[in-house]
Amino acid sequence: MKFIKPENIDSLLENLEDNKGRTYFLAGGTDLNVQIKNGIIRNPNIIYINHLSELNGINAANGSIIIGATTSFHEILESKIIRLHLPFFQKSLESFASPLLQNSATIGGNIANGSPTADVVPLLLILDAEIELSSKTRNRSIYLKDFFNGYKQNVMESNEIITKIIINKSAEKNFITFYEKVGSRKALAISKVSLAGMKRVSGYKITMIKLSVGSINEYPRRLFKVEDYLTDKTASEIDFTKVEELLDKEITPITDLRSDKEYRYHVCVNLIRTFINQ
Amino acid sequence: MKVSFKLNNKNVTINTDPMRRLLDILREDFNLLGTKESCGEGECGACTVLLDGKPVTSCLVNAVHIDGKEVMTPEGIAQEPLGKLLIDCFDETNAVQCGFCFPGFLVTSYHYLKTDGEKNLNKIKKALSGNICRCTGYQKIFESVMLACERN
Repeated sequence: MKFIKPENIDSLLENLEDNKGRTYFLAGGTDLNVQIKNGIIRNPNIIYINHLSELNGINAANGSIIIGATTSFHEILESKIIRLHLPFFQKSLESFASPLLQNSATIGGNIANGSPTADVVPLLLILDAEIELSSKTRNRSIYLKDFFNGYKQNVMESNEIITKIIINKSAEKNFITFYEKVGSRKALAISKVSLAGMKRVSGYKITMIKLSVGSINEYPRRLFKVEDYLTDKTASEIDFTKVEELLDKEITPITDLRSDKEYRYHVCVNLIRTFINQ
Repeated sequence: MKVSFKLNNKNVTINTDPMRRLLDILREDFNLLGTKESCGEGECGACTVLLDGKPVTSCLVNAVHIDGKEVMTPEGIAQEPLGKLLIDCFDETNAVQCGFCFPGFLVTSYHYLKTDGEKNLNKIKKALSGNICRCTGYQKIFESVMLACERN
């Protein structure tokens, strides 16, 4: 076990260059500590990052909202910039864990941990958020939809770290929004199914729609095929048998301790129906 | 690693493993037994303390997190005027049964009183939603916090 508390971001990136074996970043610690306690992670190599001011804070610049990776959910919920530009995003995060965990848990941690149930990911997916990955030699931005590639797997190199989350300032503008998290109780629920949606409607016709689901697949993802089918249709033109068929191709519901596949599938279909008819 | 922090308004320094849990530091190094361990996973709130004025579950906070910060435990809060008021109100409404969850509720309620304090049931419910009580069914706990808001 190795523990490093880098002085600044440069020293952090320097450390990552000779990163051998698996290393865990410690930010808020709300997921990592549970995994250590339960023996899922043993004798980990840890780099502490929560004190690095370069990774913290919310700013608006060049038409974008930039959220530092170690910004806590409490900070996002209190942020005036987020309230002004991304009120739906902010409101939806009120159901994140509990006020106690919101004070510690960070947005970058919720993404990097890669849980299929990560609350913030479906929301960021429909907002077309990008994340910045940094290493000593380069910074690259990728769309969050291209970040995950398997259960708790992602495209990050061993010398990289998530530094920023970037959302377009007008990402929510003129959209009808929807966010529903289905869990066993209100506070602290790890969702069984969550659906985030945004649509534009002209007359009765859906002119644009974005949907993403959490807790269904190995990682949260967009439902591009369903979106394509629903676009340019009125509610009465939509055949929900067809939606179910498409959904069948796009989701492979997992069975875990919280719920089984069939339940998740049906709730997902019902949530889409609710949003369409809204 | 050397960790210096303010504990219940007093400066302290310890030498410890950076990953050691704040919960263990409080109970083992300082004999502050008001902070309880129940789930150990941040779900129950029995180990709630204030870290730089914000309530957090100390089972998920590591020694490295508290360096240079302020920690307030239930014992510290019990010495504050608002803490005393809350304890009186919990007493009057018979809100405490087995008492195991109570220190956590005290910390979270104290934070609510300090930062908001409006006598509003929905707000109080939300503020206390990270704390679990398995005896009372919560009604009396909410009543005591409502009472404290009224008297404050």
